[in-house]
Amino acid sequence: MFKFLLIFVTCLMVLFTIELLNPVQAAVIQPFTAFLAWVAASVVLPFDDTVISSGRILRDSVSGFAVSIEAGCNGVEASIVLIAGVLAFPATWLQRFAAIVLGFIAIQLLNILRIVSLFYLGQWNFDIFEWTHLYLWPVLIMLDVLLVFALYLRWLSRSDPSPQHA
Amino acid sequence: MRDIAFRQQVLTTLLLLAITFGLWMATESLLATPAKWLAHGLLTLWFPGVINTTIFEPGALLVVSNFTEINGVIRLALPDEEGLAFRLNTRLVSYGLPFYAALLWGSRIKNPFNTFALGLFVLWVAMALGLAAMTAKDLMLVVGQPFLATPWVPPPPVIVVSYQFSVLLMPTLAPVLLWVFQLRGSPLWKHLESQLEGHQNKG
Repeated sequence: MFKFLLIFVTCLMVLFTIELLNPVQAAVIQPFTAFLAWVAASVVLPFDDTVISSGRILRDSVSGFAVSIEAGCNGVEASIVLIAGVLAFPATWLQRFAAIVLGFIAIQLLNILRIVSLFYLGQWNFDIFEWTHLYLWPVLIMLDVLLVFALYLRWLSRSDPSPQHA
Repeated sequence: MRDIAFRQQVLTTLLLLAITFGLWMATESLLATPAKWLAHGLLTLWFPGVINTTIFEPGALLVVSNFTEINGVIRLALPDEEGLAFRLNTRLVSYGLPFYAALLWGSRIKNPFNTFALGLFVLWVAMALGLAAMTAKDLMLVVGQPFLATPWVPPPPVIVVSYQFSVLLMPTLAPVLLWVFQLRGSPLWKHLESQLEGHQNKG
């Protein structure tokens, strides 16, 4: 267990620091965040044609209300926690790869729900928007990470791999 | 970990979240006070020439510095001048408390009250470190060079990473790590441990 914690914390700190580097932000994180805004707008458009996305901003063309998706709102930090956990746990590299890809998708699906919900909550009541944005959704996203990791452990226990140590 | 035990944990945690978040909203000022004391001690010991005092406010910690701003120039304040103050939203670091409470009370562990009290203390320390990182970030951005030239002040990249880590990850990650650590001896922990050991033995 100590080895798991050591690898987990090391991976976490390394990945988190890499994510904050300006070139990584410019080349990966910001384009990805803009893509998330586009996906969120695409999800909503069939039901609400007043929504438009521009870069990292999601805007309602009628009310003028807009949300900008910033660091901490793109699910990248939560994904980093999951990746660190998966890398630290003994498994084959194929299993790890599958867990990271599927886990990332699971986190982002919930994150899209977060963005869409916040977009409408903000138009309804700004205090509730701020409360759910700052305090509730980060907890739910971390709970999602925990759930994905637990499902990964269950999947590992049911498979019969020849695991490699991290 | 039987599947039922895990499902129970998830469902109970989700249900408890509603209760613990409600309690946290009602008592945040009280719950965050120990972290504010620790942050005050940490800041005044770490930056004695920079921090004048701290003032506890509901949902916030007001950090009063020894710097002042006159005509756009920032310098050390004279005794009769007021220092620049920074209001820190303590909820940004304390919302991990209801999360931790929901995780812990949703688990079947021995001595839950003692465990919870110990966990609270650990989280208060993490919160105090987060408040110190938030203060350092504000001082770096507002005061700038006079603050950065002070002894024992870490370089800007360290302040940036510490701040981002304290605000973006620590409030939700610390409760999870603490909860996993405190699960030892519970049915959930025994199953997790057997899975880990089983995989290590296969390797």
